[in-house]
Amino acid sequence: MMQLQASGVCVTLDRRDVLKDITVSAQGGEFIAVIGPNGAGKSTLLSVLAGLRKPDRGQVLLQDKPLSAYAPRELARHRAFLPQNPRCDWPLPVERLVALGLTPTLPAFGGFSADDAARIETALTACDLLAHRQQAATTLSGGELARAMLARALVADPQVLVVDEPLAGLDPRHALDTMRRLRRLAEQDGRLVIAAVHDLTLALRHATRIWALRDGCLLADGAPAATLDGALVAALFDVAGCVSGTGDSAFVDWV
Amino acid sequence: MIRVARLGLWLGLVLALLSVLSLLVGRVWMSPGQLLGAWRLDADPLAALILIELRLPRTVLALLVGAALGLSGAVLQGLTRNPLAEPGLLGVSSGAALGAVIAIHSGLALVFPLATPLLGLAGAFVAALLTLSLGRGEGVLVLVLAGSAVSGVMLAGTALALNMAANPYAAYEISMWLMGSLADKSWDHVLLAGPFLLAGLAVLAVSGRGLDALSLGETQARSLGVDLSRLRLQVLAGTALAVGAATAVAGAVGFIGLLAPHLVRPLVGHQPRRVLWPATLAGAALLLAADLGTRLLPFTQELKLGVLTVLVGTPFFVMLVLRLRKVAP
Amino acid sequence: MTRRCALLLCGLLQMLQPVLADNAVPQRVMSLNLCADQLLLALLPPQRIASLTWLSSTEGDPQWLSVVRQLPSNHGSAEEVLAAHPDLVIAGAFTTLATQQLLRRTATPVLRLQPVQDWEGIRQVTREVAAAVGEVARGEQLLAQMDATLAQLQATRPAQPLRVIGWSGGTDVPGRDTLFDAILTAAGAVNVGAAAQGHSDFDLEQLLLLRPEVLMRGAAYASTPSVRNQVAAHRVVRQLYNGAQLTYPEAVYGCGVPRAAQLALQLRGQLLKLRAAQQPVAP
Repeated sequence: MMQLQASGVCVTLDRRDVLKDITVSAQGGEFIAVIGPNGAGKSTLLSVLAGLRKPDRGQVLLQDKPLSAYAPRELARHRAFLPQNPRCDWPLPVERLVALGLTPTLPAFGGFSADDAARIETALTACDLLAHRQQAATTLSGGELARAMLARALVADPQVLVVDEPLAGLDPRHALDTMRRLRRLAEQDGRLVIAAVHDLTLALRHATRIWALRDGCLLADGAPAATLDGALVAALFDVAGCVSGTGDSAFVDWV
Repeated sequence: MIRVARLGLWLGLVLALLSVLSLLVGRVWMSPGQLLGAWRLDADPLAALILIELRLPRTVLALLVGAALGLSGAVLQGLTRNPLAEPGLLGVSSGAALGAVIAIHSGLALVFPLATPLLGLAGAFVAALLTLSLGRGEGVLVLVLAGSAVSGVMLAGTALALNMAANPYAAYEISMWLMGSLADKSWDHVLLAGPFLLAGLAVLAVSGRGLDALSLGETQARSLGVDLSRLRLQVLAGTALAVGAATAVAGAVGFIGLLAPHLVRPLVGHQPRRVLWPATLAGAALLLAADLGTRLLPFTQELKLGVLTVLVGTPFFVMLVLRLRKVAP
Repeated sequence: MTRRCALLLCGLLQMLQPVLADNAVPQRVMSLNLCADQLLLALLPPQRIASLTWLSSTEGDPQWLSVVRQLPSNHGSAEEVLAAHPDLVIAGAFTTLATQQLLRRTATPVLRLQPVQDWEGIRQVTREVAAAVGEVARGEQLLAQMDATLAQLQATRPAQPLRVIGWSGGTDVPGRDTLFDAILTAAGAVNVGAAAQGHSDFDLEQLLLLRPEVLMRGAAYASTPSVRNQVAAHRVVRQLYNGAQLTYPEAVYGCGVPRAAQLALQLRGQLLKLRAAQQPVAP
């Protein structure tokens, strides 16, 4: 089971403190929704946790080893990262796009092994992309592209998955579908999934844990049902919030 | 994979055919029999000289220079994710030309022959570095604009170097030289530029995996373990080696780097790594064909190689821009 | 006899001239053309030359260099002409056209020289300039020297002429109807480039096919670094023409001046020396 620990993480950008002394820890099997207003530092936190940005102070440990001590390719085999609105610049067929996720494990020359082909097949199946495998990535719809990118992230079988705003630009059906998939990845496969999410209701229903961030400070860290209430919504977004219902019918509203 | 191999075979055949033609065609007509006999000891000395000392090095240089331009075009397009990227349009060729002109007209090349490719290489490196850092960011055309700005600066530098040249005919001569030509090249040129061209080709050829990952954008490429600064340096160094040496011997030959990758993409797909080798072979074939064209077209003065490639390349460039305008607003 | 009479007459005319035409004879003549430079230097004393082109100090006939360095030079601009206030401007047929148009408006007398291709052209252009600057007799004297030299060259033609080409790296090989061809022929050599009319391109393949015995390279290219220099250093050329190359002053070979005959004489000497050096090799 993967262990990820951040302690005392500070990031300063243009003399502005984007992250102030963040200490969190997480492990495999958890699906963590990072919530907070725009500019709270969610994206910065995710890139620090993914090892793509070095914190100015503090450190992040993966399996008790600092992220900075991992070689980039080695780290890439353990964790996958999807930025906001990922896109592909060339019209690659979907299966080729997914295969790019294997980059850290491939040799400099030569093609795919039988094992690699099987992994691509599994990822395509898991993300319902078999019908689109030959389609050019640039012609996919928003929902299809999101699934293709998720398959790209999953193909190398990473234990940690960090996703920045996976729901951006998706309609309700695809947003719901994405949240279910992420939850399944955590619960069934035992991966650690960390995602920045703006839809509070979906976060409340599907995440196993909430990190609430505002102005670079961690305001709350805990199970959604226990943590996400009207007071937290008010503290995060300066709007009157109200949380009603429980489980799959829980609902967050604000005025 | 199979399609790439089959295409490689076809391109290889085309290259072999063009090479044979290149050995047969010149201003002096020699029958294939005469040329074949050039290898024998009792051969016609004129045929032997023309074949071995003139046409053979010219053909070898055309292949190497074309390969260098085709591959660097494909790699630059992959790195910038810009279908318009090309050594000529990005100002790399102008930078290389500036370096070579300085070497030739300062007299440095006479005392130290390596000065021409070395200064060409330095000029290409500076130009590529300037264009890529100026034109980074969004927008396909920003990079091309940066390239034309750098190109302008390098051409101005060339003009300045000419003003200071001791030779009164320098301006005329260099304006001709800049149009590119492979006429009257010798094995000396092959020996001089060949190692740099081959080194450049080798450095560029191993950039494929990184370029593949880059098609997902810089962030995803980095998350996949690609060292972007190393990749950029690799492409810069490879392009400078290949284009710098190519320009130092052949002058500024435009559009081969643009045409070659686009010609092979419909056949092998858009994945950057799979474009590299076909684009290299296609570049070699295109340049050899263009050089043959300069020899076959019936002008009293030999048509310049660069003039021919620009004449063929420009309509293609315009077509590409129009297509891009349709795709991306 | 008649010739001596003519010379005498000319001498008389020359003596009379300053008296006759105080205004008509231009006292300060300016040249905008390299070839006109050479003619003026041959015809006029330095104090009557207002200025010469800047090219003369590097590309002109080496024999005039010390004189040229003491004279003002110009780059052919209208400003320079207006500032110099010359009585007469001599320009080329094709160069500095904008300046010439401007001069027409300021009513400065301008003489335009036509390019010269043969000995007859030299006679014409020399007489034209000599008349314009009021030095008819000096002009005739120069032409008489030229014709005498030509006659001497003709009388002593070598039985076996060398095959020569003016090749400075491929472009601008002088062919038929060029002054180069005339000088080369007068020197008693065969111009193998003469198959083509005017100046043309020869690549190395054609050069090897024609197989000239001697390469004549333009001095401007031979002495300063250039692209053509590099072509001329092609290993085939190095192998075949090591010791069979001459350099010639391009400007003087391209300009119609009476001294061209003298150059032909010099070339004869150089070629004979080359032939002598080559003789032992040929069986």
